[in-house]
Amino acid sequence: MSDAANHITLTIDGVEVSVEAGTTLLQAAEHAGVVVPHYCYHPGIPSRPAQCRMCLVEIEGQPKLQPSCVFPAGDGMVVHTTSETAETARKSVIEFLLLNHPLDCPICDAAGQCMLQDYAFETGQLRSRYAEAKLVLGRDRVADDILYFGDRCIVCTRCVRFMEDLAGDNALVVAQRGHKAYIDTFPGKDLDHAFRGNIVDVCPVGALVHEDFVFKARAWDMDSSPGICPGCSTGCNVEINVKENQIVRTKPRLNPDVNSYWMCDHGRRILVMANRGVRAEAPMIRQGGELEPASWNEALSWVAEKLSDSSGVAVVSAGASNEALFYTRALLDRLGIQGGTFQVEQGEEVTLTGFPRLKLRADRAPNVRGAELHDFRLSEELPEVSDGATLVVLGDALSGAAADYGANAGFFLYIGSHLVPAARNATAILPAATVPETEGTFVNYEGRVQRFHRALRSPGVARPSWMFLSRLLEHLGGPSGVREIGDAFAVMATDTAGMHGLTWSGLGLRGELLSEAGQPAVAAE
Amino acid sequence: MTDTGDQVKKPLHPAAASSQAFQVADIRPTERLFDDPEGRDRLEKVLSRYPEKRAALLPMLGYAQERNGWVSDESMAEIAGALDLTPAYVRSVTTFYTMYNRHPVGRHLIQVCTCISCHLDEADEVFERFLSETGTRAGEISEDGRYTVIEAECLGACGFATAVQVNDRYFENVTPEKVPAILDELD
Repeated sequence: MSDAANHITLTIDGVEVSVEAGTTLLQAAEHAGVVVPHYCYHPGIPSRPAQCRMCLVEIEGQPKLQPSCVFPAGDGMVVHTTSETAETARKSVIEFLLLNHPLDCPICDAAGQCMLQDYAFETGQLRSRYAEAKLVLGRDRVADDILYFGDRCIVCTRCVRFMEDLAGDNALVVAQRGHKAYIDTFPGKDLDHAFRGNIVDVCPVGALVHEDFVFKARAWDMDSSPGICPGCSTGCNVEINVKENQIVRTKPRLNPDVNSYWMCDHGRRILVMANRGVRAEAPMIRQGGELEPASWNEALSWVAEKLSDSSGVAVVSAGASNEALFYTRALLDRLGIQGGTFQVEQGEEVTLTGFPRLKLRADRAPNVRGAELHDFRLSEELPEVSDGATLVVLGDALSGAAADYGANAGFFLYIGSHLVPAARNATAILPAATVPETEGTFVNYEGRVQRFHRALRSPGVARPSWMFLSRLLEHLGGPSGVREIGDAFAVMATDTAGMHGLTWSGLGLRGELLSEAGQPAVAAE
Repeated sequence: MTDTGDQVKKPLHPAAASSQAFQVADIRPTERLFDDPEGRDRLEKVLSRYPEKRAALLPMLGYAQERNGWVSDESMAEIAGALDLTPAYVRSVTTFYTMYNRHPVGRHLIQVCTCISCHLDEADEVFERFLSETGTRAGEISEDGRYTVIEAECLGACGFATAVQVNDRYFENVTPEKVPAILDELD
């Protein structure tokens, strides 16, 4: 087998590892459970200048230390990452990097998540031997939403190389040289690329920060949950940072099949903006012409009683989870309402040139495929509601609707999270948790079913729609309602073509593709 | 060793003059580069020497400096456009090299070497003398637009300290006393 031929065995810090030929020492060390400190190397950025000199390691038989980020592993090599020579070299590099670095960790956004802070702490040089005055560069702006703190910068050029290698726009560069070097744009030509926000994520220190996040939260004050970006049909895997039940930041989460290490700026903004809006916080039922708050039990039995089999229309949001869409479909089936539509906002498509699979896609909704899977159809307009008909609305589907939309319906059931003007015409409002407030799944453009997790508490008594819809069905004579997302997913997977065999736990954090049978007739791309 | 006075008076060899356009101390600080045939011809000539456009960057920055006396942001943008580069990249290269002037200079850019050999000689005094004779501070343009005096790193003429470079011409064994004579010889 050629497998053995392609593999080489080497020893790193006393641990024998076998890796594929061509693997760099730094990657091989990861197999041995050794993290070699580094700054300029980033696994997602192809170019490797080996310029920070942090990852120098000692290789037996080599006269000089070698940068492990580019040095290929060789058969029988004996590598020491923590030998005295390697440690001394690293210590010197840190000392040089700290010469002009300000001691502003207490006000720096990166503190707690800073590679310079970590390694400086690790190497433990308590006092600087540098007696000169520090070079002060000050603060600059490299994009309308990104600030550059020149003093903190260690000129690793990750940001420059992200823009060059991945965004394909060489608009960010190193200006000057030597100890005067800093990162800059051309005057009057700030970064305007749709993926520019990633330069903040790749920055190993606090030199590049988002202006809408700066000084907002410390690393240790935030909770983090894995989520899926609702910005478009790509479904980038994200990490949602929450402080005091407010989303303060969205960062990309590694998924090599979807978004690698990256995400676009549209996605970064959209979840932070989701903090806003007037929320539905309690169930409301229309009694004596007025919407009155009610308890969940009261509201569900009232709705079950009043909702009658009749002709009607349904509108859903392509931003609702599969579980919510599934239970809405089950409710519509029980009511005898056919069809149902959703609208999708369209925008300009932008590709990340260096990772072309990742696009900000034209469909600006996360679950278009999921909505199609549950037999909802894309429509440019909201459906006409004939007088006295039943109208069922799921999710934020009415944000663009006229204020009198649905006023003529016989029964208008609004299952949503925000009280948009048209929602006030409802006969009953069932307050739904928003996507970051609940768990569930989306199906992205290529049919990948991806899980998102709960990041926020819901306001008032808003609940996940799949949860109360299953209970509403129970009131209408269906099977008993589900309380756990895993159960809801299991019910859905059994009843939905293309999802057979998928399990909630099996999806994991990387997601699974729908089976062939589930590919809707309208292929994505 | 040539005497400084002779050096000033001696006309340049025609071959040297044609290859070193810098010696024409006729700068037009704000002129655009490629709006006239002169600039376009130079671009074409330089481009013909290299397999790819990017390689012409340093010569074209040199041309900008030759024509304007300095490399302005506008010139960088023009060159970027001509060579299919981003203006930011051109800026990165320009700022990397210290010999591209980033500010307008006088017609005669006087660079006094203050590196070690010249420093051991009389470089500091020569530098001060140039400043006082021209009535400027380091880096400034004199009021009549003729001079800018700056310190330079090693000019590679350590055997002939103190070395002074005026535009592209070298003056060697300069002493403070010779400074007025040098200035007189410059137009």
